[in-house]
Amino acid sequence: MKLFAKYNRINLFATVIIFLLSAVAFYFSLQYVLISQLDDSLETEKSEIEKYVAEHKALPEIFAIKDQQIAYTPVEQIDFKKHFNYVTLVDTVEKDKEVFRQLTFGINVQGKYYKVEVSKSIEGTDDIIKSIAIITFITILLILSVSFFINRFILKKIWKPFYATLHTINNFELNQQNPIVFQPNNIEEFTSLNQTLEKSINKAQQDFNSLKQFTENASHELQTPLAIIRTKFDLLIQAETLTQQQIEALQSANDALQRLSNLNKSLLLLTKIENKQFEEKVTINLKELIENKLIQLSELIQNKNIHVTYSLEEITINMNSDLAEILLNNLLVNAIKHNVPNGEIIINLSATQLQIANTAQKILDSNKIFTRFYKAEQSAQSNGLGLSIAKQICDAAGYGLSYSFNGDYHYFTVRL
Amino acid sequence: MKVLIIEDEKELLNSICSYLGNDNFICETATDFHAAIEKISLYDYACIVLDITLPGGSGLEILKELKKQHKADGVLIISAKNSLEDKVEGLKAGADDYLTKPFHLPELSARVASIIRRKYFNGSDTITLNEIALNISSKTVEVNNVLIELTRKEYELLLYFISNKNKVISKNAIAEHLWGDNMDLADSYDFIYTHIKNLRKKLLNAGCSDYIKSVYGMGYKFSIN
Repeated sequence: MKLFAKYNRINLFATVIIFLLSAVAFYFSLQYVLISQLDDSLETEKSEIEKYVAEHKALPEIFAIKDQQIAYTPVEQIDFKKHFNYVTLVDTVEKDKEVFRQLTFGINVQGKYYKVEVSKSIEGTDDIIKSIAIITFITILLILSVSFFINRFILKKIWKPFYATLHTINNFELNQQNPIVFQPNNIEEFTSLNQTLEKSINKAQQDFNSLKQFTENASHELQTPLAIIRTKFDLLIQAETLTQQQIEALQSANDALQRLSNLNKSLLLLTKIENKQFEEKVTINLKELIENKLIQLSELIQNKNIHVTYSLEEITINMNSDLAEILLNNLLVNAIKHNVPNGEIIINLSATQLQIANTAQKILDSNKIFTRFYKAEQSAQSNGLGLSIAKQICDAAGYGLSYSFNGDYHYFTVRL
Repeated sequence: MKVLIIEDEKELLNSICSYLGNDNFICETATDFHAAIEKISLYDYACIVLDITLPGGSGLEILKELKKQHKADGVLIISAKNSLEDKVEGLKAGADDYLTKPFHLPELSARVASIIRRKYFNGSDTITLNEIALNISSKTVEVNNVLIELTRKEYELLLYFISNKNKVISKNAIAEHLWGDNMDLADSYDFIYTHIKNLRKKLLNAGCSDYIKSVYGMGYKFSIN
């Protein structure tokens, strides 16, 4: 839920409750006031009647007045107290039933007892209450809509720097060269938010860059010593007096050197992909490239007696040619290397995806499989960078690379 | 034939010189930018092996200088950087080939030989060694004037051997030459063995002398006197 929506919801809810409560309270207090006014005027009527009786020794005549009725009933004795109540009577003028406030009291006119009922219509009071309710209702609507618009426009305006900050962060990548810059604003909280973010992001970027720089420099610096060792080895084996033991030691050293060189090459490649040094894109016929790769790797495939089946559509992509080649190479070599003897490789290429499946027995840890130096089993043959490079290439090209296992096959899927 | 090696790393320079040196090449050396500029201005070389990062200036500047002086020296760039821009820029600036450190000396030697062949033997693209004749442009091989059928890898292998005749070539160097770094070591050794066995059989069947010698545990040598 958006902050506005949440705020609006609470705000609306509270406003409506308060207005309803106050309307109810208003209604009752107003009714109380108006009814007591009515009662006062009934009392006045009573004292006028009593005054008339005292002066004239007779009951006053009854005139038909709108909203007021007076009735005299002779009684044996006055066995009731003066009291107020509500009654429904037929209005003498308008001839319809209405609710009246009635005052009942007893009076003695020269030894005869009468029950006097003075009634006044409360219709007028009701009208006032109705109009007050309508006004209240309209006020609520007005206030709600006004606050809605205030929230919508003013709040949006106030929160604008916040959204600008979010947008900046969303569009920012650690591996880009420029430091992050937020739009300046004049709200203290947002400014301090931006400053804090700027500081921590720039720090992360610096760390990231120096780590990247370190890997790159280290790999570059290693190239020359590796070249020296390798050339010395090439020279050393020309000697004709080497003993069997020396030859074996030399060969082991050379194999280790080869691994070191390959590892270094892979690390350099990773940094180069990260540094976006493979920007040049060309149109690549994926089908052709896969077929060529399979020919290149045919010896490896035959050696393990692996059966390859494929269904390839004519698909062209726009990608860096070196990276496309490395990606296919890594995925295919992986499918061969981690296959079983007499196993299978199934390649499917469609407009949406390239899927390479190979026979396998054990599920791999899909969380770790693309991380650097991860190896399912410790082996001197692999440096654990092949899939990590493949992933990095896919990321750089905007493709998704995922892994799944169905019990018999590993599936590596590139979503194009 | 004179070759100039421009490389600031002395040990690497020594290795290259002593390998190329007994290959009928006369090696001259330069270890910094200014010495290199001086040498290329004074002499002509069949091939220049050029490091890109040099004290005193960039190897690319040397390439530009060669162009300015209208020199036709072949150039092989050796660089630790292996960056695409360097490669593209180097080749654009007139270099003939590009090799990334760390390289194998037989690879360097084969590349230098190939550059020299392209530069100086345009007309005759055939390498003749006793009874063997390799045609570079058609990639065919004749033994005693009879064409023999070689697979692409066998042909590449033979050319590689001939470019490094009388030298022991390690299995690693052969593997890298034939497959780049696509292969695992253990696997590729088996493949090398198979290819060499087949190549040798085909050459022997055609009446060729047995030049390819196995150096136990180490590699192979194409011995020719």
